[in-house]
Amino acid sequence: MSYDVIVVGTGVAGLAAAVRLAEDGARVLVLAKGIGATHLTGATVDVLGYDPERVEAPGDALGRLVAAQPGHPYARVGAEAVGEALAWLRAQVAASPFAPYAYEGGLERNHLLPTAVGAPKPTAMAPRTMLAGDLRAGGAPICIAGIRRLKDFHPLLCAENIAAATGTEARGVELDLPLTGRADENAQGLARQLEDPVVRGALVQQLANTLRVGERVGLPAVLGLGDPHAVWSDLEHRLGRPVFEIPTLPPSVPGMRLYTILRAALRRAGGRQVIGPEVVGPVAAGARLEGLRVRVGKREEVRRAGHVVLATGGFASGGLQLDSRWRARDAALGLPLAGVPEPGELRFTPRYFEDQPMARAGIAVDDELRPLGADGEPSYENVRVAGASIAGAAPWKEKSGEGISLATGLRAAGLILHATRTAAAPAAGATMEAP
Amino acid sequence: MTTLQADVLVIGGGATGAGVAWDCALRGYDTVLVDRRDLAEGTSGRFHGLLHSGGRYVVKDPDAAVECVEENAIVRRVAADAVEDTGGLFVSTPGDDLAYGDRFLEGCRASHLPVEEIGVAEALRREPLLNPGITRAFVVPDASVDVWKLVWALADGAAAHGARVLTYHRVVGIRRDGDEVCGARLRNELSGEEVDVEAAFTINASGAWAAEVAEMAGCEGIHVAPGKGIMIAMNHRLVNTVVNRLVMPADGDILVPIRTVSVIGTTDIRSRHADELPVTQEEVDQMLDDGDRLVPGLRSARALRVWAGVRPLFEDKKTGETDSTRDVSRSHAMLDHLERDGLRRFLTITGGKLTTYRLMAKDIVDAMVRQRGEARPCRTAETPLPGSEEGRPYRLGVRLRAREEELRSEQIICECELVGRRRLEDAMRRRGTANLDDIRRNLRLGMGPCQGGFCMYRAAGILHGIGRMDGPRATGSLRHFLQERWKGMWPVLYGDQLRQARLDDWIFQGLLDVEHVPADTNGLPAPVDAELEATPLL
Repeated sequence: MSYDVIVVGTGVAGLAAAVRLAEDGARVLVLAKGIGATHLTGATVDVLGYDPERVEAPGDALGRLVAAQPGHPYARVGAEAVGEALAWLRAQVAASPFAPYAYEGGLERNHLLPTAVGAPKPTAMAPRTMLAGDLRAGGAPICIAGIRRLKDFHPLLCAENIAAATGTEARGVELDLPLTGRADENAQGLARQLEDPVVRGALVQQLANTLRVGERVGLPAVLGLGDPHAVWSDLEHRLGRPVFEIPTLPPSVPGMRLYTILRAALRRAGGRQVIGPEVVGPVAAGARLEGLRVRVGKREEVRRAGHVVLATGGFASGGLQLDSRWRARDAALGLPLAGVPEPGELRFTPRYFEDQPMARAGIAVDDELRPLGADGEPSYENVRVAGASIAGAAPWKEKSGEGISLATGLRAAGLILHATRTAAAPAAGATMEAP
Repeated sequence: MTTLQADVLVIGGGATGAGVAWDCALRGYDTVLVDRRDLAEGTSGRFHGLLHSGGRYVVKDPDAAVECVEENAIVRRVAADAVEDTGGLFVSTPGDDLAYGDRFLEGCRASHLPVEEIGVAEALRREPLLNPGITRAFVVPDASVDVWKLVWALADGAAAHGARVLTYHRVVGIRRDGDEVCGARLRNELSGEEVDVEAAFTINASGAWAAEVAEMAGCEGIHVAPGKGIMIAMNHRLVNTVVNRLVMPADGDILVPIRTVSVIGTTDIRSRHADELPVTQEEVDQMLDDGDRLVPGLRSARALRVWAGVRPLFEDKKTGETDSTRDVSRSHAMLDHLERDGLRRFLTITGGKLTTYRLMAKDIVDAMVRQRGEARPCRTAETPLPGSEEGRPYRLGVRLRAREEELRSEQIICECELVGRRRLEDAMRRRGTANLDDIRRNLRLGMGPCQGGFCMYRAAGILHGIGRMDGPRATGSLRHFLQERWKGMWPVLYGDQLRQARLDDWIFQGLLDVEHVPADTNGLPAPVDAELEATPLL
């Protein structure tokens, strides 16, 4: 089997790029060391939440950010591409096996969805199962219900903070479900249990006893993995009121759903995904990347492709690295990083919530998302970088991670499709060989 | 204002002060122990965890070596629950002076320190990550000690004999009546409330801060030189035996396995003030290079955090203009203020080392008993501390075994350090604190590889219920703990720990957004100012 494009990394950026490429007929291989960071995200699509004040209308704020921060990843793709990326994801979810599970929202207005600690977090788009939690303009009183066995969600703290932060009336209750096994259950385990109508019945019964007139119900995001819409709509129906999910500590159930949706789309489009191999270096010929050195177990092999999308993530995912001698590089190709403070300068500051000097370090890219070397020239003409590896953003402070990943992933795919169509000769077919 | 009466006021809640309180309580004195912060938050809580066999001192300071040999054996017995019998090795790394080994062996014999030379192959079999280039290896009875367990056992033991322990109470004035000291005025650092302690006798055991306390009583001219030492905790046990370099005591020559981590230490740099302990990039690099000499590859292993402690090095007179404080004697210093300043009922003890905390306490309490003209013998060498009655040393793995037995009934809140929910709730109730960092010192909550990434939110949620506090106050505790953990992480953030820290950012900023929840930090100790100042890296 030979490939037109190898996508390295299987988070939101890598999968979005791969699906888009495969749907357009490219032969795509996704290579990833692990299962990607999707399982860590709340699976809301945060586009721009703070800049640094809270953002109400992300579309407008994006326009301003692109003008004010030319080094930001959004400035590489433009505000319009972000809106298109959101529409693309909505369509993917609508066409997925989980439908009518759906994503809703766009760039007009940010939702304000409660986090597990009760913060009102601005997000552009989210699963429908979360939207009744919107804290904009007060809204109906809220009952946050936790499940005692789940230590990763504390409903009373969440409810009190929602009230303190927004003035929305909120209270918390803790439920005991008739579960067996270990005293600990994480979100993933609980989501499986709640697919059982008996367990769900117990939840409904306990909740019905405590709910007050007019209250909407917030639950940890554990409402099913295999058929989330059915679990959520069943609860809404039986409780007779709006029900919403709140992301928990990882593992994130909505994150797993998003991963499943994108992976299914990739398969449907004929793309292939291999988890485990680690890309350890480039096989280069001048300005062109000929292939990738890939370690599989103890063996090393070379994978060749016409184009590569590097979507290995930031420091949290291991895509970027800094060693004890402060040498920074990208892990897969050894590309230099921009935005790393010089020797002798502070990389971090003693106050945790301050802007950290290292926060925006990453791979610098040009408008074609090609990685730039120290000389400011593209290192490889046929490599595109997508997602959290790109320099210039502070995704968690800005609440911009998923927006950047989707927009740059799809743009990388679009650029490759454009390049292969306009190329005089077809790209070299991918082959595999021993080094 | 509250007024307390006591036979003895002990100032300083480190190992020495807590040891003094325990000794006093055992001799039947009604005792009050005070510290400006939590127990063992100063020097005692900021060392590497080594219970010296004495080997480090046999050549350089034979008197100190003899003290260590004797005290090591006693502490293993009376504080067994805080001590892990790791054993110790002294090894010559390539380039080290080979003749030192013979002097070391001679010194051990002179100090009656049990020592055995083993072959290099045997040393490498015991500790496979050791530098394969080592040329000699000696086995000694070093051990590691969990200092928070030790100090709290001392304080709890004292309390069981009627002592009162006041943490977060700063001494703001020493009460004097003519030529007699009769207690102190304290300020509660969290509430601002003042407390008077009327005490028949006052013992100043405030270590590196002893000169400041003595000055409050009018005793001038005391110098306690702050000798800063930095230590780096690696995320697992690179060795299971204490490893010392077989050289004259120097920097970065000790690697101590303590609980789930190993600690490389230490430096020795004269610092300006005991509260100003910046960690520089140069020191971190030096420590990593020194550690790499003992265990090659340490540089690419995962460093969890770095901290600096301050040795209280007592000087009778000003020593010369030198950067090194290591030449000042390590033996402890006792000041009889009656002799020195004509002041009755006031004694100061400082200097020394953790291994000899009991001996220091005994000496100073003996001096007090003499001045009072009483005859109450010391009982600390025979009396086990609470938790150590059976004399069984701590073994790595006991927590795991306990957790495995109760997986069906007990949640694990901190997976790294295996802290169960009931234990956490009990500690929160017992201490009645909103400060999760206090809980950490008791249970090791948040001290493992993720540095609180997963347990902090859970602990805040549980504290919210147990402490009957409102949401913003629990959030204040969470944010305060985040800052406390960050304090030791940022200067050594590289490699896999940087990856971990970014995951923690993802959780606290990206997922929970704790920055945008109202937080109330009233009643939590303010960070030490110097800790919030950026340090020049080079």
